[in-house]
Amino acid sequence: MSRSMLLLTAAAFGASALWAQKPLRIAAATDLEPVLPPILLQFHQTTGIEAEATYQASAVLTTQIQNGAPFDLFLSADLSHPKRLIDAGLADAAGSADSSTPITYAKGTLVLWTRNDSAFPHPSLALLHNPALKRLAIANPVQAPYGRAAVAALTSLKLYESLQPRVVTAENIAQAAQFVDSGNADAGLISMTSALTPRLTASGSYFVIPHDLYPPIEQGAVIVSRTAQRAAVHKLLDFLLSPAVQAQLAKSGLTPVK
Amino acid sequence: MDWQALTLTLRLASITTVVLLAIAVPLATLLVLGRSRWLAFLEAIATLPLVLPPTVLGFFLLVLLGPRTGFGRAITAMLGHPLAFSFSGLVVGSVIYSLPFAVQPLVAGFSAVDQPLIDAARLLGAGSARLVLTLLIPLARRSLVAAAILTFLHTVGEFGVVLMLGGDIPGATRTLSILLYNQVENFDYAAAGRTAAILLALSIAALAAIYAGSRRRGGRHA
Repeated sequence: MSRSMLLLTAAAFGASALWAQKPLRIAAATDLEPVLPPILLQFHQTTGIEAEATYQASAVLTTQIQNGAPFDLFLSADLSHPKRLIDAGLADAAGSADSSTPITYAKGTLVLWTRNDSAFPHPSLALLHNPALKRLAIANPVQAPYGRAAVAALTSLKLYESLQPRVVTAENIAQAAQFVDSGNADAGLISMTSALTPRLTASGSYFVIPHDLYPPIEQGAVIVSRTAQRAAVHKLLDFLLSPAVQAQLAKSGLTPVK
Repeated sequence: MDWQALTLTLRLASITTVVLLAIAVPLATLLVLGRSRWLAFLEAIATLPLVLPPTVLGFFLLVLLGPRTGFGRAITAMLGHPLAFSFSGLVVGSVIYSLPFAVQPLVAGFSAVDQPLIDAARLLGAGSARLVLTLLIPLARRSLVAAAILTFLHTVGEFGVVLMLGGDIPGATRTLSILLYNQVENFDYAAAGRTAAILLALSIAALAAIYAGSRRRGGRHA
């Protein structure tokens, strides 16, 4: 290849990199893993903006953003982690009514899930009182919002102390589901978004924990302040809060906020 | 400082080291002295735990040891409880996870023993057990020490497998690395720093003591 050809190729590569908009990078809580991909695809089809999500426990994502992870938008499974970023001056909710409060985009639902081939194929609150229940999986109450909700629900039922020796703690809500789906735990308090995945729908059934037993799992979004694509992030937030997408969230196990 | 997590971790690492050496010495002997061509395959399998991400290895063990496999059901019936979420489950997971760290130094050490010495011992009528105990181990003592140290430390620092297989039960499966992770996740960086500092200080002290002893005995040349 001649020298001028090389230069030409290099120039073409450089130009295409400039023209193509960089995909939005989203830090998303684990409970969104079954929900978000089709929504992001629709967003791409509607607006032409590509968005890629990374799924982790909200606490992990918060630490990563605190340390400069290159995300544009953070979709947490609670309000306290995104609030922590706002207070640190690393994120904001500019454009919403109150720019110092995370934007609630959905509410989570806690369910009790068991496998159909287990000793407890029909989960209900009575199961939590059953002494034959040997292992109950929950997500880590310190770092996972659904884990906090699980402990709150068990405390409301005055069962937490008696059940605690039988509780096994998973790092996040997906892992809590794996503990039960692999048959190692008898039942699990997991997110409805996990329970509604094809895999868990096929292997088990769930019971919705009454909402009055735990504080609402409000899921908050914040814009990572150093983003270079604020306009695109706002488009995605508007899309998330649009009636069509909110209705879709309801079908995937989240409660819409609009 | 959570001393329960520390003692639990030390107990797990000690038991794992003893169990693993009992498995790795015969295995390494077979790999070095054996003639079957299948041994290359066996050595490859013994190295595999290095390839899988630890949480994935932990997930497979969770499924394998759980009540949905015949193997898991047999173990549950034998012990009276499932292996997952128990201390013995962590021992099983750690033995598999650290297997390459015990086998590799031993294979290297045993391979370095002069073949004429081995042949002479065989000619004099030494069986395999005697060969190992009176020739290979004394000559490859440093490799044995290295295998033990690597296994012990690798188990102390083990995280992914314990995370998956343990269920974070204080006193049973909450090891120091899990505790450290929880502290970091909880933004309790001061506590995490203290825990990590104690862990590092203990490790440096123990390692320096072992290496100093090894130097005094002239172990460098063995």
